[in-house]
Amino acid sequence: MKINDVVCPFCGCLCDDLEVTVEDNRIVAVDNGCTLANAKFMSKERLASPIRRTGDGWENISYEEAIQYTVDMLLDADRPLLYGWSGTHGEAQCIGVHVCELVGGIIDSTTSVCHGPSILAIQEVGHPGCTLGQVKNRADVVIYWGCNPLEAHPRHMSRYTTYADGYFLDNAFRERKVIVVDVRETETARVADEFIRIKAGGDYAVLSALRAIVRGKGDVVPGSVAGVSRSQLERIVTLCKDAKFGAVFFGLGLTMTRGKYKNVRNAIELVDELSRHTKFTITPMRGHWNVYGSNEVFTWMTGYPYAIDFCRGIAFYNPGETSAIDLLARKECDACLIIGSDPGAHFPRACVEHLAEIPTVVIDPVPSMTTALADVQIPVAVSGIDADGTAYRMDGVPIRVRKVIEPTLPNDREVLKSIHAKMKEARGQ
Amino acid sequence: MKFILNTGRTVTQGWHVEHKYHQGYFEETSSCFIHPLDLMDLDLEDGEHVEVVSEWGSVVLRAVSCEDLRKGMIFVPLGPFANHIIPPRTHSTGMPDFKNITVELARTERERLTQWELMEKIGGKRYENQ
Repeated sequence: MKINDVVCPFCGCLCDDLEVTVEDNRIVAVDNGCTLANAKFMSKERLASPIRRTGDGWENISYEEAIQYTVDMLLDADRPLLYGWSGTHGEAQCIGVHVCELVGGIIDSTTSVCHGPSILAIQEVGHPGCTLGQVKNRADVVIYWGCNPLEAHPRHMSRYTTYADGYFLDNAFRERKVIVVDVRETETARVADEFIRIKAGGDYAVLSALRAIVRGKGDVVPGSVAGVSRSQLERIVTLCKDAKFGAVFFGLGLTMTRGKYKNVRNAIELVDELSRHTKFTITPMRGHWNVYGSNEVFTWMTGYPYAIDFCRGIAFYNPGETSAIDLLARKECDACLIIGSDPGAHFPRACVEHLAEIPTVVIDPVPSMTTALADVQIPVAVSGIDADGTAYRMDGVPIRVRKVIEPTLPNDREVLKSIHAKMKEARGQ
Repeated sequence: MKFILNTGRTVTQGWHVEHKYHQGYFEETSSCFIHPLDLMDLDLEDGEHVEVVSEWGSVVLRAVSCEDLRKGMIFVPLGPFANHIIPPRTHSTGMPDFKNITVELARTERERLTQWELMEKIGGKRYENQ
């Protein structure tokens, strides 16, 4: 059986045109997907049952035992951290907030190690964004700054920019100019019309120079800025000012390097300057398929997008203090529930060391590096494959991910619902 | 020799997101991409091992020649090897310095640890029932 228009639950593009072939409740082929989508849909290496760490290895346990362990762990903790959330659907994220509030814990998503600084910048100066459909149909200049979509979002250029047709462009491939700004000459840089190679850590200076030139103050810009010649910067500004519609996409090259949210603020303010001459927008290249959704759900429910601390009985938000990396580095939390992410692979060692020292439960379909640090792992159905739910694309558009096979395991929201119900019962609520 | 460490995603690393115990994930995330002229300066051949030392620790990686990089910069794909030496400080932003970190590189005869061995070194336990 072929199922059309399947949504891919891998990256923030949420491509919704996959064709999945299912035989005997098994996925046997995926068409239209990128290599990352194929790897996820065709993966056959899930855990079949919850596992618990023993003295010398691991043992299988029942879902009841695993859920009871999680309930006891959270209720016994003074400072529990509930982390991850970008690899699950919005309905499960909602229950996660309820669980966190009940125990006065901290809830944080992978946002804090991807586009958290972008949110801090947006909170300072706003977000002149648009949907990817607007970019596809209108943009004649596209800038990729500090990102490498051909490796991290493999279909972004073919669905929305370089190789996509545009309703308001006669010959989109020829009319659309692509500018790439990076410290490496990546595959993406090689297909660009203009590649700006900057020195590491030079983003803020280059953005400031571009703003000065757009403002007509180019004479204050030195001959070379962070390895980029003034003549190239002037050429870029001319290209941008002549555009009918420009779209900037930026990645972790801005958020993870020196300057962090100030880099992003400068990029937004460059877009603001360019919008005095033409139409320009800016969009973060969100990584995990529903990391944007975690920001939406947390904001509706608590008023804040990530790194929310309930220990005062009300929601409190202060990234740098209440964010997962800082809590773990300070060895402050005394229990951790991780869902839909792998901090064991993606957090600095000092943080991972603390995870190994405290009671930790992982809710995830497959063994990961975090499995090695956990006391219990609870496998679940995969959202978008054998569980449905709501996700948000990188431009903030909600998209329903469907199930294409029947589940043999409970999904994230069912496991979290059980945990929440048992906790309320234990608290006499 | 001093270098600037940059980390980030690659398509091979992404392919292995749900297969992290595979040899392919180990090979990709324990690679240190480096300009060929820097390899010569370090007296290294492509594929030989290099010790990368930050203020926060050290890790042994496999050197891979790569002309995408400027001289003086190395690139290590996102994963447990890069994170073994990434400092946890966030400058009050919540975000560690995953990019643009000063490191020292030197040739080494030591073997790389596997991803499970890295986890066990800090108190974890490998899961091998798959």
